[in-house]
Amino acid sequence: MNWKKTFAVVRREYIERVRTKAFWIATLLIPILFLGYVAIQVALSRKTSGQRELVVVDLTGKLYKPLAAELADTEAKQKKEASGSKGPHWNLVERPLTGDLDGTKEALRKEVLAKKISGYLILEPAKLEKESIEYYSTTVSDYIALSQLQSAMNRIWLRQKMAARGLPADLAAELEHRLDLKPFKVTEKGASEEKGAGIIAAIVFLILMYSTFFMYGYQVMRGVIEEKSNRIVEIIVASVRPVELMVGKIVGIGLVGLTQYLVWSLVAMNLSLPAFAGMMSGGDLGVPRIPVSMLGYFILFFILGYFLYASVYTMIAAPFNTDQEAQQLAMIPMVMIVGGIAVYPAVMNNPTGGMALFFSLFPFTASLIMFLRTAVSEPPVWQILLCVAILISTTAALAWFAGRIYRVGILMYGKKPTIPEIIRWARYSPGKVVQPEVKQAG
Amino acid sequence: METAIQLTNVSKAFGKFKAVDNLSLNVPRGAMFGLLGPNGAGKTTSIRMIMNITAPDTGAIRILGNPMDRAMQNRIGYLPEERGLYRKMKVIDHLYFLAAIKEVGREEAKKRIADWLDKMELGPWLNKKVDELSKGMQQKIQFIATIVHDPDILILDEPFSGLDPINVALMRDYFLEFRQRGKTIVFCTHVLEQAEKLCDEITLMARSRKILEGSIKELKHRYSQDLLRISMDASLEEVRALSGVATVKAVDGTFVVGLNPGTDRREFLRRTLERYRIDAFSQKEPELEEIYLDAVKSAGIEDRVIE
Repeated sequence: MNWKKTFAVVRREYIERVRTKAFWIATLLIPILFLGYVAIQVALSRKTSGQRELVVVDLTGKLYKPLAAELADTEAKQKKEASGSKGPHWNLVERPLTGDLDGTKEALRKEVLAKKISGYLILEPAKLEKESIEYYSTTVSDYIALSQLQSAMNRIWLRQKMAARGLPADLAAELEHRLDLKPFKVTEKGASEEKGAGIIAAIVFLILMYSTFFMYGYQVMRGVIEEKSNRIVEIIVASVRPVELMVGKIVGIGLVGLTQYLVWSLVAMNLSLPAFAGMMSGGDLGVPRIPVSMLGYFILFFILGYFLYASVYTMIAAPFNTDQEAQQLAMIPMVMIVGGIAVYPAVMNNPTGGMALFFSLFPFTASLIMFLRTAVSEPPVWQILLCVAILISTTAALAWFAGRIYRVGILMYGKKPTIPEIIRWARYSPGKVVQPEVKQAG
Repeated sequence: METAIQLTNVSKAFGKFKAVDNLSLNVPRGAMFGLLGPNGAGKTTSIRMIMNITAPDTGAIRILGNPMDRAMQNRIGYLPEERGLYRKMKVIDHLYFLAAIKEVGREEAKKRIADWLDKMELGPWLNKKVDELSKGMQQKIQFIATIVHDPDILILDEPFSGLDPINVALMRDYFLEFRQRGKTIVFCTHVLEQAEKLCDEITLMARSRKILEGSIKELKHRYSQDLLRISMDASLEEVRALSGVATVKAVDGTFVVGLNPGTDRREFLRRTLERYRIDAFSQKEPELEEIYLDAVKSAGIEDRVIE
């Protein structure tokens, strides 16, 4: 390897890519889209906090008043806990029956459709005994409002039932308390409370790693094909060895990927993403604090996985002259990468099980799955080291094979080669590099 | 004479296909050397081996008296037949890159590139993308890239393909100028007329093998022995029937007669004069193409036709 020449290739690959508009559009657009998504979430959660006109048809005659009090109470409590009001504000109106129940329902239905009221609640003794309350509205998917209404009704129902049996009212208040299951993640350094933020960060990173494998693997493939279809490759291999060109290209594009990550993390730090996230998740989930170890493993497994897939993509690209020709074989790394993401929920459920171990050591899913395991559990050090060793040796073998195909393939023009032909290329003798000494006179 | 490039019994096979079969050649220093032959004769593979792009299976290659290695690679400028440029790169960046992979320092590269761009009147295109250049301009850029490291040897594979006559003339001037500075040029083509005009020495290849070599002058002399142009009052059939005639062609009212090897020309003319009236005769200098076809024929591999 001539590092000076290899560096010239790395430099070209890096600078030419980072200079393009496409790079900056992708780099800036993705965080903007992400922030936009968060903003929409925030906006939607604001919407649930709007006013709601709720008509209550109370056929029992003893539930309306407690319900109104209960909802007001819930709202007051929420206001005290979180600084900004989050939950919906209910304006309750009691409506007596006009005529029979069906007639009342019909009248109310029209009012809902005319947007005079948000919805109506029918409290029928017979249905209550069967443990159901009917709620009618144009939107029945607004989860926060519905669950608030439901739990308010449940509390009142419980209290009234107990009062009916003559039990003391304070017992009802006590029974309303539920037990919380708090998960703690046990690590070498002790135990720390897991609030879910770590898991969300792990998944976000996993998706990020997965999509960048695709993005940059594909760029390697395009780059190799471009050099052939541009007919520049022979000019270059007259100065640079194929293996140097290959390594330079892969490293250069990998650095572009790392640059993109760097820009993203700067954006994340400066655009106060935490504030956004805080607004969205409502306090309890907290700002996802990303542990340093997670970042470290992310970079490590990104680099290892990237080199592995980049070798596969190089191998696939070398024999072909157009993207279309390579498309069919490009399915292979795609299936491998998707495979890694497909098994992640199972691994997440049982990050120390046999399946998790298998996929974190199987070279083509290892980088994604081992990263996930380090994020959600604490795999034994030997497993991590074994995984790294497997990734490095598989990449070395693939790169060797890719190099052999590349060496021949980049100089082959014309018809699309068949797979047996490509495999034959790898067996071509590279020739003797050391040439027999010929005595030279003069 | 000192040799610039020396190949000794070089062979290269791809699977079962033998691309180059036991090729030996000597390119003297300072020569304008033609490596000729039809497409598929093994020229490009030979050049790729000289350039250390592919290694030979057997045989030895020496460049300027040294075994081929990376340092030698930097002393050769190579313009491949399949040539192109990165289309999205700026002209100047592209040239810097191609200089960098020949290990030319940035300052040196800057100076030389500026000189050449000036010479070729490409200055205004410095910061344009390769895409925006005409095909002729792109070929000039490729030529600059070939010589930016001031090589001792220049290997040009079909350098005139796709060039208009003005640029062909321009390029030829650059090659000649290059040669005057004592550099060696290997000129590789299947267009024999071009080679005939430019080269002093040639090697002809066909079917992976060398079938002919020597200086153009010497080859022409050698082959002209047997070729006569005669104007006489006989029919084609009558001429063909004369003893000692191997081939005969009617050209512009005269006959171009090829004699059997070993036939004495004076004897042949004397015998012919006895029977017919000869108005004029001359010794015909053969075209390189005729020499080539003849050599191919005698090597028994004539089924491949020159384009």
